[in-house]
Amino acid sequence: MSEPTKLAGVKRREFLKVLGAGTAAGAAACSEPTGKLIPYLVSPDQTVPGVSTYYATLCRECSAGCGVIAETRDGRVIKLEGNPEHPLNRGALCARGQSAVQGLYNPDRFRTPMIKVGGSWRAATWDEAINLLAQRLGEVRGRGVAASAVFFNQHESGSFPAFLDEWLASNGMRPHLSVDFEADHGAIEAHRRTYGVSWPRWNFAEARLIISFGADFLDGWGATVPHQLDFAEARAKVTTAPRFIYVGPRRSLTGLNADQWIACKAGGELAIANFLQGRGDANAAAEAGGVQAATLQQLQQEYAGARPALVMASGRGENGLELALAAGALNHSRGGEAITSYDGIARQNDVLAAVERMRAGQVGAVFVRGPNPAYALPKSANFAEAFAKVPFKVSFSPYPDETTELCDLVLPDLHALESWGDAEPVRGTIALQQPAMDPVFGGTRSTADVLIAVSKKEAATAARYPQADYGAWLRARLPGGGNAQALSAALARGVMSGSVAARTATSSTSAAIPIPAGAASGDYFLVTYPSPVLGDGRGANKPWLQELPDPVTKVLWSSWVEIHPETASRLGIQRGDIIEVKTAVGSVRVPALVYLGIRPDTVAIALGQGHASPAQTTWFDGKDTAPQWGYGRYARGVGANALDLLSARLNSAGALIGTSRCSIEKTGDHETLVSTEGSARQHDRGIARAIDVNQIGQADDLAAHGTIPGAAKQEFLPGLRSPVAADAQGELGAPTAADRGTLLGMYDPKHPSRMAQRRWAMTVDLARCTGCSACVTACYAENNIPTVGAPWQNGVVYAVKKPGFNITRGREMNWLRLERYYEGAEDGRFTEDFEARFVPMLCQHCGNAPCEPVCPVYATYKAPDGLNVQVYNRCVGTRYCSNNCPYKVRYFNWFGYGESDRVQYAFPEPLNWQLNPDVTVRSKGVMEKCTFCVQRIREAENRAALEQRELVPDEFTVSCAAACPSRAIVFGDASDANWSVTKLIEDERAYHVFEELNTYTAVVYLKKVNHPSGAGAPGALR
Amino acid sequence: MPASAGGMGPHSHLAMTQRRKWTAIPGLLALAIGAVILSAYSGASSSQNAQPVQPINFPHPKHAGDSSQGGLGMSCLYCHNTANKSPDPGMPAVSTCMGCHLVVAAGRPEIQKLMKYYGGGHGKPIPWVRIHKVPEYVRFPHMRHVNVGVTCQTCHGQVQRMDRVYQYSSLNMGWCVKCHVNGYDPVEGQRATGYAMDTSRSVTPAAERKRARYDCANCHY
Repeated sequence: MSEPTKLAGVKRREFLKVLGAGTAAGAAACSEPTGKLIPYLVSPDQTVPGVSTYYATLCRECSAGCGVIAETRDGRVIKLEGNPEHPLNRGALCARGQSAVQGLYNPDRFRTPMIKVGGSWRAATWDEAINLLAQRLGEVRGRGVAASAVFFNQHESGSFPAFLDEWLASNGMRPHLSVDFEADHGAIEAHRRTYGVSWPRWNFAEARLIISFGADFLDGWGATVPHQLDFAEARAKVTTAPRFIYVGPRRSLTGLNADQWIACKAGGELAIANFLQGRGDANAAAEAGGVQAATLQQLQQEYAGARPALVMASGRGENGLELALAAGALNHSRGGEAITSYDGIARQNDVLAAVERMRAGQVGAVFVRGPNPAYALPKSANFAEAFAKVPFKVSFSPYPDETTELCDLVLPDLHALESWGDAEPVRGTIALQQPAMDPVFGGTRSTADVLIAVSKKEAATAARYPQADYGAWLRARLPGGGNAQALSAALARGVMSGSVAARTATSSTSAAIPIPAGAASGDYFLVTYPSPVLGDGRGANKPWLQELPDPVTKVLWSSWVEIHPETASRLGIQRGDIIEVKTAVGSVRVPALVYLGIRPDTVAIALGQGHASPAQTTWFDGKDTAPQWGYGRYARGVGANALDLLSARLNSAGALIGTSRCSIEKTGDHETLVSTEGSARQHDRGIARAIDVNQIGQADDLAAHGTIPGAAKQEFLPGLRSPVAADAQGELGAPTAADRGTLLGMYDPKHPSRMAQRRWAMTVDLARCTGCSACVTACYAENNIPTVGAPWQNGVVYAVKKPGFNITRGREMNWLRLERYYEGAEDGRFTEDFEARFVPMLCQHCGNAPCEPVCPVYATYKAPDGLNVQVYNRCVGTRYCSNNCPYKVRYFNWFGYGESDRVQYAFPEPLNWQLNPDVTVRSKGVMEKCTFCVQRIREAENRAALEQRELVPDEFTVSCAAACPSRAIVFGDASDANWSVTKLIEDERAYHVFEELNTYTAVVYLKKVNHPSGAGAPGALR
Repeated sequence: MPASAGGMGPHSHLAMTQRRKWTAIPGLLALAIGAVILSAYSGASSSQNAQPVQPINFPHPKHAGDSSQGGLGMSCLYCHNTANKSPDPGMPAVSTCMGCHLVVAAGRPEIQKLMKYYGGGHGKPIPWVRIHKVPEYVRFPHMRHVNVGVTCQTCHGQVQRMDRVYQYSSLNMGWCVKCHVNGYDPVEGQRATGYAMDTSRSVTPAAERKRARYDCANCHY
């Protein structure tokens, strides 16, 4: 008899403790604790307990304004997925968007307003806080300095900016600054001049060639999800897909997706772009760019021969504006509705000018809603010093970030999922934001409502706001006005046609501001870039994002500096050695990451980490209940802030420059870099396979594809070319099997449950996959996967208490990991010619699974519908299965991540509100792995049964596939030809990983397609 | 424990005896512990028959009982109204009770308690003590059962006759699987209800019954 593991309630350990103490209370301690059944007081309409309700609303994690569908269960948001109706993200959602729920349920959100008194904070009531705000506003107006006040608002499109300007005007203040520190302001300025819009719609579909000059359109450069959807769609055309060339000093995620990398110097892109325009000769451009002239000539030929070519450029460099303008002149592939998400964004010189006015003591009050300038401006801008000269500073941030800590009053805003709003992502389409749930914390209030409340306190302004709140104000303003019926129809879809009245005024006041001398010293170029995962740092307080390996380096819970192997070996630097990177304005100490995809004369550091607080300098201890300054428990003290290295210099677009010169020095310290990567090389294992485009359709490949070593003689049950159940020899499918019908049970397709008639399977198209890792976070969100890397989560067992330490011990729990392998450049010498391949690796649900026969308690087995099942309550934790799994996709609960009384608990209140009630939270000592979202399969089956029908092909999908912005993952029933997955399995690019092991996997990969240059030769070397 | 302790000297067989004697005690202890574990985790120790006192002494017989016995004969689904459409059977909102009891029997002490909880729509919900609960690693979709004709009484007993509800079934896995493997017949289910029934239908022979899934991953995930 196996001992069931109690996953909740009385824990096994407690139970054994009771026994050990020799008491006779064993039996009594063991009955299932039942608790209370709390009904509603008054049942809300539409809510069926145990069944999800979905609300279409908006994602506000970046400026793009994608549409999301918030799944709520019993009044709580439990999952976000893309809204298929939304013109930008069309049903997909990136990792950052999915993590919005961890912003909503962030344990470090303010519970009440806070007032700083004598340098220390105290909680306040809303009456108190609003009175204080009204009183101080009155003083500012009374002194006649209202016009000097500055309002920083996190950039968003839609009606709120206009509302805010109106409110500010009614108080005699100037329009607000719509701030976004991660937007590429240089590119936006160039787009305005070239295309007349802030962000054009790139036409990936028609392009024959894509050239990106450092424009990381898959890493957060602009609205990433629509870029990725279109890019993957274009690349999926395989034989007619555009070739992609990336020009820049560092291969970003976007760069790794390119077919060719031209590794030019930081700032050298402009010479190359000019050369392509026919200005200058190849040798001069090659000299300026630090590349081979032959490479450029080849590039020019290719550009000349490929019409239309899609050319994009980053504007973050010293000559960013000129480069982006040159790219605009080179580009001829643009079409469709322009993206209006960046309209009205404040130029960065305006932001810096406001800081200078603060420093000069000319600013009477500052309001900050969303942005975090104290963190996100280069340290040399001395924001804190300037900010301290402002007599009254208000933050509306829900989180204890660096800027908020410097303020005098905190009026915590609601999360986007709790409040009303709108956006206009493309002209003529309004995307609606509605509360998907009541506020998590009763002590938080929508900023717009607070502003209305303040106005209502004064007779002069009260008349302006007859509406009860911002929601009413907004609804009245939308096209169709008060028509409730039209509005509720639009809310169900999340979008409506029409335009919001845009802001009439923008606040461009800047005279020239003093620019610190651009001291260009140091032997190396320094490149900083917004992290594709953490953005400009606002993702750092969400454990899912901290635990999501960087798509390029696979490093997490850490900062790192990328150094080329050649440079590293010259300086004697090993991976993990602590390097001091110095510029004229500062220095940071970060571990080295030896990376092939960077020029030997360049080093690179991602932005986003290094959140800090002057008041709290240690890591959260797992218990403290005081506000966690420094952007919360998950962000504070993790990594270093690369902005400490940059001077606040602007390029000619008025954009902060992200590059510099630096020197690097080995410090002698070393730390194990936190990474989930085993090896960056495939060692001939054939995990991530690729095919050159000109090999497609070649007979020899087809022949190889058609054979399965060790194929059984008998006929298999339907689905794939692989057996179901413990049927590696095909006996169950054979109609002559002697015991058929008596011993087969549910494995008999004729069993009344008809479970064996399905064969759940998945295809992953590596020609589409960009490695963005949205699927990884989608899996965490759906399957209650704990994050394990927070510093306090490992302090109990190991003496070492540092971020990610559990992961360096191999304790991570990512059911679905994104592997990245390099091909070529194996000798450590610099070359532009290497390839990266991305493979989402998850349980392959083998038909002949190596994990199954080794389980002593039968906790893992093959279900009749093709799933490789892990029964948590049978599992006793021998880990034999993990040992025997060739794919290494099984993860063991070493600690009680799911047990709230342990310090390793991964879901501190209220993060646990997000937990999917359809999925067990696993306890300590249990093995777990990808289930193919069995809860979604059961839910779909239950729904079909309820409606008395069969499952409709493709009617549901798994969480990773739903999120995937490349549409690379397809899930379905491989035994039914009407499901998409069945057709894809027949693709000539299809292969099984480790087919030679006879595992008969249910996950089928489609080979990546490489597009070598026209001559058939790889990109020329330097 | 060292074998030679106590001056046993080199006589190894004596030492062995000594050792056996001493190992027998932990052995017995292990047996005793095993027995307790077995009893603790076997059906015998499930919370079957638990009959907690509820905050309001809700009389199921009065509401759902047969009219011949003085009940109103209300359908279970009137209050537990999502049992046929959701995994969760649903507990009636306090406002559902008040739908009738604003008027009906408003003066009775138990109804007074109810009104106090309701507080005119601004009170607090009734903290019913939960009786039936499967462990957290079990998914039990009520609607799949209700919609194929498994009567409520099959699992919950004749609640319409219970003055105070108790846990009728063990809810152990063996109890679940018995039906899933052997099949369930709605006529049998009708009999289990204890209501008057149509006697013309006969029970389906065991071999012809529709059997349900008993695969682990049907309920455990």
